[in-house]
Amino acid sequence: MAISLRSDSAKGYALSMPAVVYVGFLVAVPLALMVAHSFWTQDYIDINRELTLENYRQAVDDPLIRLLLIRSVVIAGLVTGLTVLLAYPIAYFIAFKTQKKALWLILVTIPFWSSYLLRVFAWKLILGYNGVLNSGLLTVGLIDEPLSFILYNPNAVVLTLAHAWAPFAILPIYVSLQKIDPSLLEAATDLGNTAIERFLRVTLPLSIPGVIAASLIIFIPTVGDYVTPALVGGADGKMIANLIQVQFGAANDWPMGATLSIMAILVVAFVAAVFVISLRSAGRRIR
Amino acid sequence: MESDAPIVVVKDIEKRFGNYVAVSDFNLDLKQREFFSLLGPSGCGKTTALRMIAGFQQPSKGEIFIDGAPMRDVPANLRPTNMVFQSYAIFPHLNVADNVGFGLRKKGLSRQEIDQQVREALEMVELPNLGTRKADELSGGQRQRVALARALVMRPKVLLLDEPLSALDKKLRETMQLELRRLQQSVGITFVMVTHDQYEAMTMSDRIGVMFQGKLAQVDTPKRLYSAPLNREVASFVGSMNFLKTSLRAEAADVLRVEADGVGPMAVKRNPYGIESGHEPLVGIRPEQLEIGTAQPSGYDVAVKGKVTNVAFYGESIHYYVGIDGQDEPCAVAVTNYFHTVDHQVGDDVWIGFQNSSVIDLGKYQETGSPGF
Ligand SMILES: Nc1ncnc2c1ncn2[C@@H]1O[C@H](COP(=O)(O)OP(=O)(O)OP(=O)(O)O)[C@@H](O)[C@H]1O
Ligand SMILES: [Mg+2]
Repeated sequence: MAISLRSDSAKGYALSMPAVVYVGFLVAVPLALMVAHSFWTQDYIDINRELTLENYRQAVDDPLIRLLLIRSVVIAGLVTGLTVLLAYPIAYFIAFKTQKKALWLILVTIPFWSSYLLRVFAWKLILGYNGVLNSGLLTVGLIDEPLSFILYNPNAVVLTLAHAWAPFAILPIYVSLQKIDPSLLEAATDLGNTAIERFLRVTLPLSIPGVIAASLIIFIPTVGDYVTPALVGGADGKMIANLIQVQFGAANDWPMGATLSIMAILVVAFVAAVFVISLRSAGRRIR
Repeated sequence: MESDAPIVVVKDIEKRFGNYVAVSDFNLDLKQREFFSLLGPSGCGKTTALRMIAGFQQPSKGEIFIDGAPMRDVPANLRPTNMVFQSYAIFPHLNVADNVGFGLRKKGLSRQEIDQQVREALEMVELPNLGTRKADELSGGQRQRVALARALVMRPKVLLLDEPLSALDKKLRETMQLELRRLQQSVGITFVMVTHDQYEAMTMSDRIGVMFQGKLAQVDTPKRLYSAPLNREVASFVGSMNFLKTSLRAEAADVLRVEADGVGPMAVKRNPYGIESGHEPLVGIRPEQLEIGTAQPSGYDVAVKGKVTNVAFYGESIHYYVGIDGQDEPCAVAVTNYFHTVDHQVGDDVWIGFQNSSVIDLGKYQETGSPGF
């Protein structure tokens, strides 16, 4: 052999090299470029490479940006909360209440078999002014004219994303529930707990890692989502990523786009950290 | 509290899983403050029987009474029993004190009372000052003690233990056997332990129930189980045993006169369980009840000549296997007091001797070696 691998650590480095190179070029370099851009400014068609905090000052002062950031976090929070709430019982059912686990897990992943865009359009068809939901309700006679508050607003964004993310929440929660040793549940019963007490004192705290994983998997990309708000969000449903897209596109202000991206990352990191820490400590307080 | 009424009565229990009968014809009275073991080979239904007492499984037939009360409609969480699980089932998200206090929190006690009882329980299992340890920072032996403390602190009427020592190494297991026994005597609670280790059952228990294929074959004190097993299966499960097929020569009210090929006549006490012996009673002799020597031994009721076919050294004993003309199987002789005696070699001519009182009537001989119960 051409390369002799002298030690285990050399072997380890060699094995991780492709991944390191890959991640380095596709994540670290673009990220560094973005950080650099955020400290530069747009000077008509040129970029002024003088380092400045001007972009950040402007962004913080701009009430629209503040609104969009807050709205993004709130919508992402709602999506996360709704998805986890809906996913938990399903994961619980698969983990504890059925023998056909494999079948259910496959069913859960079925939405992945069609493209995300198609699914968003499907929701448009369902929620639209002349959509399935409205015509159905009209036919039944429950409403006299089509409901307009169900499409092109934040509700539609939340609904669409909660559906799209469901498998991402169900799977990690299922895994954490599945790992619980059944004798722990019996021990809780043996020590005088009803089924509900047992759930609150044993099952729930032991599944918190799964809930945290599910929440982060959903929350982080949702804050930065722009497809869904663009398609079903309407004017009130626009989020920070839509503005970032505009900066890199029509507005042609890459430094501002980079600044907004960095701010979004920081906000996401902060909210996620607060969330994880508080959920963990809440879990620890359960005795 | 009245003292002699049984604390647990198991009456005519049967448990089926689909068509499979896991436990059947199960009748058992457990006395107050006794250490009872359920002993049997893997898959014989010990755990199932224990879990029915705990309430984790419902009998398909029959009824269980604890302290006089029928348990059919009492769910596991309301039964006056507690369990030590084989895996210990220590809650990984709680520290030791919270594990031990887990059941107490349900009892509406004040914080101080809970803390006090947890501390006492931890002292009882010799784990003081370990309350703040996390569950995953405990050794196997410590986990076992936490599981014990957590169950005992509930002051159950019956403590159920499913192979509590099987996860420990040999040395620790022996220590824990003695400690568990001491603990049981000091708290005065009825313990029911499931085990497949006959030595463990014999060293710890007041009484043992031996199970085969879902049925209780014999319930007795360890000593009687060993010296008066009621059939071949029990006899060989609780220790090694030489079996001899015999012919009946005469029978009296409590003595059978039998003769085995190549061994000669013996007088055997009739099986105390009234098992019918028929014309070909099977008798057994424990290897350590036999004497071996190069000359014909004197002072024994029976003396037989044979040839050493095999020798096995165990440390605390030497086992000689002696072939006897007329018997298919060689007879095992265990010698424990061997430091000052001559060693016999394979091929040596030897004599073995034993008393009639060492011979056990095991009922009717059956070709399969499993006499019906
Ligand atoms: N929930 C169940 N469903 C179907 N069969 C079961 C169930 N629980 C136990 N059994 C069967 O019942 C029989 C007795 O099982 P049990 O666990 O009581 O045996 P055991 O004596 O405790 O054995 P071991 O020493 O291996 O633990 C086994 O054949 C087992 O396969
Ligand atoms: Mg078992």
